[in-house]
Amino acid sequence: MPEYQARQTIGELLDRQGISRRAFIKYCTAMASLMALPPLAGRAMAEQLRAARRPSVIYLSFQECTGCLESLTRSFSPSIENMIFNVISLDYDDTLMAAAGHRAEAARDQAMKANYGKYLVVVDGSVPTADGGIYNCAAGRTAVDILTETAKGAAAIVCVGTCSSFGGIPFADPNPTGARPVSDLIGDKPIINVSGCPPIPEVITGTLLQFVTTGQVPDLDEHRRPKVFFGNTIHDRCYRRPFFDQGKFAKTFDDEGARNGWCLFELGCKGPTTYNACATTKWNGGTSFPIESGHPCLGCSEPGFWDKGSFYAALSTGTFGRAGNLTPRDAAKLGGAAAATGIAVAAGATALARHRRKVRMTDIQTADTQKEE
Amino acid sequence: MSRLGDIPIRIERPDFAAMAGTIGGGVTAILAEIAALLDRLAAGDEPQAIDLKSLPMNPGDREQLIEALGSGEVAITLYADGESTIRETGVHGVWWTEHRDGDGEVTAAFIEIARVPGILIVDSDELQRGAERLRSAIGATRSSE
Repeated sequence: MPEYQARQTIGELLDRQGISRRAFIKYCTAMASLMALPPLAGRAMAEQLRAARRPSVIYLSFQECTGCLESLTRSFSPSIENMIFNVISLDYDDTLMAAAGHRAEAARDQAMKANYGKYLVVVDGSVPTADGGIYNCAAGRTAVDILTETAKGAAAIVCVGTCSSFGGIPFADPNPTGARPVSDLIGDKPIINVSGCPPIPEVITGTLLQFVTTGQVPDLDEHRRPKVFFGNTIHDRCYRRPFFDQGKFAKTFDDEGARNGWCLFELGCKGPTTYNACATTKWNGGTSFPIESGHPCLGCSEPGFWDKGSFYAALSTGTFGRAGNLTPRDAAKLGGAAAATGIAVAAGATALARHRRKVRMTDIQTADTQKEE
Repeated sequence: MSRLGDIPIRIERPDFAAMAGTIGGGVTAILAEIAALLDRLAAGDEPQAIDLKSLPMNPGDREQLIEALGSGEVAITLYADGESTIRETGVHGVWWTEHRDGDGEVTAAFIEIARVPGILIVDSDELQRGAERLRSAIGATRSSE
């Protein structure tokens, strides 16, 4: 990073680029609204950010499809999309940067040295650990090496996407590459998981902006996700929720219920067990979200979503995946609850899913210990 | 068809004349909050705002709220990375603000309870930069004479 860039404040950079204070206030007001802050907090945020210096960000891509980065760079209109890149100094991103080969790696080394202890690491993709980590290498080094080295001097790590947060698709059964989430490998740094396949772009930028503004890790849920974006289930905030409460369900994708916009629970919607902001923030600049387009939620922001059985099987049928943590008796109980009251199903399914996740992580840790022995 | 907003929708408009005094519960609550915030502003408190994007409102509610607040004397258009509209409602000190991005999509919408909307106020740095710009323009004119 050139020295003049390191010294200048975000406000000075914005002025140089002709982005007015009012335009920046507009951006921060929109972000404050997404973060459930009072709209006028956007002004305070804008003033604080304008006076701050841009933090160095190192973006690491491992086992991923680049969908998360696409999500980030396609957010809002072009002018707003660029705004986050004015707030941060993106010093290394092997997908976006012009440099390649040893010059690219030198940029990462330089950013780490110049900002040791202060830079932010963004990780996209899971980290393969099987067979010495050979399934993902760059510049002759494994992803495990690169992550471990880069994380040492980081102020915090932001895992963008379900793969870096929970393993995602590479972690799916039978996980041939031994894919792991970052939190399995790095234990001594604050980690913020922004899950989703991909995550909502505004949720990514909002999380980064919150960290840059306050310099602190936001309040996180049990999966280290910012509560401000992952505090409610899709079901909690779904506009089709009244139909669920009334017991009005679409049974197929082309029946009367589907045409009437009724609840998609029986078509496999995972909204009751999925924590994300899709129902409120929506996608494509607030246009819609999958349920609004007539498709059930896949639960892509939850751990192990790929292994929870069919996307089109109702939660009440108990198809919770390969691990079999949901016993037939649990499933029957859940199915019975569905007949009695849908709300109880949602609550029960959520509790069971959370229990299942804990069991699964314990299983992994136990398996690791056995392997080491 | 370029945008979702171009798709026509039918909004069941309430008959305000027939339902005088019977505004919907959600809208009544917002009006009550605005009234309380006006009291606080008059008493010397800071300006406040109500976020319209995060409120669970359907198009009918919004229409009802717009109708209840009415139109005021001031309408401002702000051109800063997209067009924003700021208009005073029929209630003095209550401003309806909508910020749009470059594509015309609404990125923030809120009701601000303030003497003047805060985004319009110019800060000291901008005043100084403006003065410097004018002095340098004067200097350039003089040197060319």
